[in-house]
Amino acid sequence: MSDIIATDHLSKWYGQVIGLNDVSVTVPAGITGLLGPNGAGKSTFMKLVTGQLKPSKGTINVLGQPIWNNPSQYFRIGFCPEQDSFYERMTGLEWVSALVRLNGVSESDADRMATRAIEAVDLVEAMHKKIGAYSKGMRQRIKMAQALAHDPEFLILDEPLSGMDPIMRRKTIRLIKDWARAGKSILVSSHILHEIESMTANILLINQGRILAEGNVHQIRDLIDEHPHTVYIKADQPRALAREFLTHDDVLSLRFEEAAVVVQTGRPDAFYARLTDLAASGSLGAIHEVTSPDDNLQAVFKYLVKA
Amino acid sequence: MTEVAPRTPHTAPRTVSSAFRIFDLSLGQMLWSRRSVFLGVLLGGPVALAVALRVISAMYTSGFRINGAMTPGSTIFGMMIWLLYIRFIVPILGVFYGTSLIADEVDDKTITYLFTRPIPRRAVLIGKYLAYLVCTILLVLPSVMLVFFLVVPTGGSTVAEAFPPLLADFAMLAIGLAAYGALFAFVGTRLKRPLIIGLVFAFGWEPAVLLFPGYLKRLTVAYYLQALVKHEMPQDSAVSMLLQVFREVPSVGASLAGLAVIVGLTLWAAGRAVESREYILEQ
Repeated sequence: MSDIIATDHLSKWYGQVIGLNDVSVTVPAGITGLLGPNGAGKSTFMKLVTGQLKPSKGTINVLGQPIWNNPSQYFRIGFCPEQDSFYERMTGLEWVSALVRLNGVSESDADRMATRAIEAVDLVEAMHKKIGAYSKGMRQRIKMAQALAHDPEFLILDEPLSGMDPIMRRKTIRLIKDWARAGKSILVSSHILHEIESMTANILLINQGRILAEGNVHQIRDLIDEHPHTVYIKADQPRALAREFLTHDDVLSLRFEEAAVVVQTGRPDAFYARLTDLAASGSLGAIHEVTSPDDNLQAVFKYLVKA
Repeated sequence: MTEVAPRTPHTAPRTVSSAFRIFDLSLGQMLWSRRSVFLGVLLGGPVALAVALRVISAMYTSGFRINGAMTPGSTIFGMMIWLLYIRFIVPILGVFYGTSLIADEVDDKTITYLFTRPIPRRAVLIGKYLAYLVCTILLVLPSVMLVFFLVVPTGGSTVAEAFPPLLADFAMLAIGLAAYGALFAFVGTRLKRPLIIGLVFAFGWEPAVLLFPGYLKRLTVAYYLQALVKHEMPQDSAVSMLLQVFREVPSVGASLAGLAVIVGLTLWAAGRAVESREYILEQ
């Protein structure tokens, strides 16, 4: 399938302030996580993707077409915004139904579509209550229902898990994965990395208006080879291993933990190759466990943001 | 996964049908807004005045006298329509609702839901403008009716005689609301500090230029509206005679054409502004 989003030298300025700076990126089908700290440019990117903002420079195509001032694209897109804003006096069903009607469907079809979407987010019991009486988690879910109701190909979810309790969070993550399995593409933003990690390995890392990295966790790992890569090695003779490691200039630092040595290397591929040889030879004792905290998204993110 | 609805058609709805759906969505919100409650109270002002006039008329006189001349209730009603409703309440309603048609959605951060639906952005403006018209007519109508029934029967007028002009008054009020609403919708979408600009226009610029001869008065809404006023006004005071000298009233046809141009042009320009403008919501 072709790319869901394609940007070419996309920039957005707010007066003198740069919101997004020369971003050329493609987002494939499936779930993609947009990660970045507050103020990184996530919201600007989301608003450009949803056609709320016009690019200052460059282009953005969503599902193969420009999105700015192209309303028919919104048949194919569902957007769940971050802001906690509603028509508070309406019930959940009235609100979702009214918004679906803007897609040109009849009132009865809109009610049916809204009800199905509300069922999908597990909010049926509260759908006749006024939104003003909803909890934060329920408000998040009704926002997702309005994004989902017209059955779009592409869902854009801005901080969708914000305010949900752990159980609902888990359910929502499962839902998002289900939607992806059913063929929808999903762009989901968050500044909490483990949330994204639990949904997808395919991420865009954004900071200071620039995409720092894109791809899956391991591809990103390759992209950041110039940053220290940490390897945890549990072994019989950690000190002997450390002495061996220090003879190579790619090893930047090391420290000891209980029966283990933690190494930072600038060239992980070379380091892993040597380590495999050492483990195979057994010359410095048995190596029991090798893990890389860098494979955790959090570590990758920290590296990139620091850079 | 729970089954979702079948796909909707991918042909963008037309502006008119989209506008009616926005109207449907917005009318209830607008009617029960704090603004409507406040302006509803404001519209109680003429009613309170009418009650007072009725009580005074019943208790102390058998009618109203202006400069010593007996003035029928229908004339008093006509003066109230012009001075209170057309020159004060209608512009106030136009300013407060018209400038906020889009701004309210932006302030409430609900504009996102409307602008990420497959409808032209100008349909949002037009739908909300239609909702404004219906909402304000529903606010004004009961007030005018009450004033009519309280004031007209005094001083020898009869309700039956005055009823046909009342329908014309309603039409004029609706046209006034349409014109001021469209003008201030344009101000609201194009200019910063639209409320202040609107108030200055309605209560500074318009009264000032209407007093003087020349073409400037054609740049007001009131100039065109005054041709639609059918009520007789008392003309025996020095001020009214002086005003009469400078009063250049266009024909009804010219007035209606002028007002239609104001509505059409300003709504078109406001729609263009909404189409091209980026609304950046504060986080």
